[in-house]
Amino acid sequence: MSGINENVLFQIEEDTPEIPTLEETVESRKYLIFITDDLRLGVDAEYVVEILNTHTATYLPMMPDYICGIYNMRGQIIPIMDIRRRLGKPSLESESLLVVLNYNGTQLGILVDSVEVMLDIPNASILPIPSQSAQKLVSGMCTLPDGSGTMLVLDCDQLIPHE
Amino acid sequence: MSSNDILDMYIYETNSLLEQLETIVLDAEKENTFSQDNVNEIFRIMHTIKGSSAMMEFDTLATVSHRIEDMFFLIREGTMSVVKDADRPALFDVMLHAVDYFREEMEKVEAEEPLNKDVDSFLANINSLIAKIKGEEPAAEAPAPAAPAPAETAPAAPPAAVPAGPGTGNPDFPYELRVFFDDGCGMENLRAYMLITSIQSFCSEADFLYEPAAVESDASTSEQIIDNGFLLMFKNADDRERSIPVIREAGSVHSYQPHDYVPAPPQEEEAEEAPVPQAAAAPKPAAPAKPAPAAPAANNQQHQKESLISVGLSKLDQLSAIVGEIVITEAMVTASPDLKGLHLDAFSKSARQLRKLTDELQDVSMSLRMIPVSNTFQKMNRIVRDMSKKLNKQVKLTLIGENTEVDKTIVDSIGDPIMHMVRNSMDHGIEENVQDRIDAGKDPVGEIVLSAEDTGSEVIIQIKDDGAGVNDEAVLKKAIKNGIAFPDVEYSHKEILNFLMAPGFSTNQQVTEFSGRGVGMDVVKSGVESLGGTVSITSEQGKGMITTMRIPLTMAIMDGMEVSVGNSIFTIPINNIRSTMKINSTDILHDSIDGEMVKVMDGYYPVIRAKDFYNLPSGTDEIEEGILMWLESGDVSYCLFVDELLGEQQIVVKPLPAYVNSFDVKNFGITGCSILGDGNISIILDAGGLFAAARGA
Repeated sequence: MSGINENVLFQIEEDTPEIPTLEETVESRKYLIFITDDLRLGVDAEYVVEILNTHTATYLPMMPDYICGIYNMRGQIIPIMDIRRRLGKPSLESESLLVVLNYNGTQLGILVDSVEVMLDIPNASILPIPSQSAQKLVSGMCTLPDGSGTMLVLDCDQLIPHE
Repeated sequence: MSSNDILDMYIYETNSLLEQLETIVLDAEKENTFSQDNVNEIFRIMHTIKGSSAMMEFDTLATVSHRIEDMFFLIREGTMSVVKDADRPALFDVMLHAVDYFREEMEKVEAEEPLNKDVDSFLANINSLIAKIKGEEPAAEAPAPAAPAPAETAPAAPPAAVPAGPGTGNPDFPYELRVFFDDGCGMENLRAYMLITSIQSFCSEADFLYEPAAVESDASTSEQIIDNGFLLMFKNADDRERSIPVIREAGSVHSYQPHDYVPAPPQEEEAEEAPVPQAAAAPKPAAPAKPAPAAPAANNQQHQKESLISVGLSKLDQLSAIVGEIVITEAMVTASPDLKGLHLDAFSKSARQLRKLTDELQDVSMSLRMIPVSNTFQKMNRIVRDMSKKLNKQVKLTLIGENTEVDKTIVDSIGDPIMHMVRNSMDHGIEENVQDRIDAGKDPVGEIVLSAEDTGSEVIIQIKDDGAGVNDEAVLKKAIKNGIAFPDVEYSHKEILNFLMAPGFSTNQQVTEFSGRGVGMDVVKSGVESLGGTVSITSEQGKGMITTMRIPLTMAIMDGMEVSVGNSIFTIPINNIRSTMKINSTDILHDSIDGEMVKVMDGYYPVIRAKDFYNLPSGTDEIEEGILMWLESGDVSYCLFVDELLGEQQIVVKPLPAYVNSFDVKNFGITGCSILGDGNISIILDAGGLFAAARGA
């Protein structure tokens, strides 16, 4: 990542009159890829605070069913969302992992089945999802570089509403 | 010190001076005269504002305060007798107007808006007053040119003082200290003035001189300071010794050189003589500005200041957050499950000590945020004064318990509700006609009593007037008209009073400048409730009305009862709990709409089952297995059914994450959460909110 940035900086200095487009400045981003209900989802690694494998959610009444409760992460109170339920699927019975995200200052923990890998994905390879697809919470998709499958990009904007 | 810090300090200082000024003027107005002390004090305040405003280059502010200073210069010289009785109301008005003017400008400075440049009419007001005060003096002395005379000689002084190079000296002030500032640090005159101010805190003004003398008002002295340094001359060696650490700590000081004045050899005396009187003369033009009678007052002020420091609220918030964490962590350590079954005498002894210390730490950190309500209360004096003039009602305001201390955030937020209630009492409460009061056998002068009382867990603020009281019929009629009440329902006196706090209720027929804009008591109610408090009104027709606000002293840490419902743990504030009881299912009475009630003491109260209300996944349904808690909040009283009481605990209130709050859990009586000793979370319930939600559901 840093190497790329240096290159980019260098480039900007060299030909200043040309205003670089977004594709040129940020060629790729790191994504954390996790599995939820057979879906391979990726979230921008920039938003990931940490991944926890033991957690106990305190049940909070009067919340939508996809909010399992709140969790005390070293004195910080973090709401926990079950991605499966958020997507309308039954929740996983066995142990799941908690991925804590910080999106624009809002912290949210999401329950996922398992975490796969952290990958650099070129921005250009992320394509919009077909307009007729009813898939929720996804802003784009791409084929993984090693050809092992397809990743859906988790849309934090939809996931974490902000004022 | 960055320029922003200086600006903050300036705003803070000016605002506190204005508050002081307003109090003096309001008190003096009652006496219809300024005492000599008051005059000195006002003079000093205006002088300080003038000086600091000029420093910050707010010229209009400096001009206005300068003119007022001039006016009080005249009054001080000739005592209050120079102001004829007929002119006194005008004097008080001008002074209050000035307070308002400065406040407005301070707000603009804070908001970084341009200042109001057009002060001519206000200045003309002051000038005409000065002319009147000067009435007896020869007419030839026109007020306008005469007024600037006393203090504007000060900026004229520096040229005369220029020759004061190295080698100047004053036999009376032999202990010199020459201070050089860092190259290019800018605003040398201002930095020098700050040095003077800090030296004044331990050394009286009569005991030292400084050169150039006009640093306070003349920016051109900067160059002189850059070239020759800033020269301080002390009468006593001790004072100089004490100044050195102050100077060393001051920002941007490059170096300083102590130097003792040696009387010049005789042949040079003539040459020397010239600068000496000049050096001595330099402070003289400033003398009207820093007069001897005012000096002791100024010094007292300085000494008081020394024992106080101002700290940013965010730092205090940070401190209380950390102390909160320590309290939790302490409980986590001492109650660690790893210690179960072990007998550790030394450990428990140390743990007890730790507990005691954390308790103390908590008390101290809480007390840091406590400030007296007096400032808020004092502001009401002004409102009562202005309104009694406008409405032509004779009213006196009595303040009780103004030294009661409450959390800073509470003080900030109770100002508006109190102001609203005072206006309300002035506008609607106190009778329009003095005759009405006399007929009712009351003192013709109405009274509003504002009181604050600290009960240990909450602060009670009462606004009481001896006016006409609430007319139940009129209120009910209005409530029906506004669709808040139903025409064919019987309402109790208490319920009718509650209509006053319903949104969009205002009994006054006409919208006035002061109250009755359609928003009213409901704002007071929601304001106080956002602090976790309650408002209640009592009134007897013809006798007056009492509004009582009960506000928890601090919201950060409170005593709560931990209760469990299945796997969930809730905390209920101790203040809301009247009692708890075990009952049998036969004690539960059912009404026609599946509601449950129970008879406690001599009343029937609704029963709310926490498990059912919150749709909790676990918990008991058998009345015999659980426990009933009789809760009370404001006017509501009901019983909450839970599984088990876990014990009383002091808890640190944490707000729920914003994401969670966006689901409106607050409307279901869930106000916050707290981390328990074992790291688990308990949910804090608000007894009033829970009942309201259950009723609405």
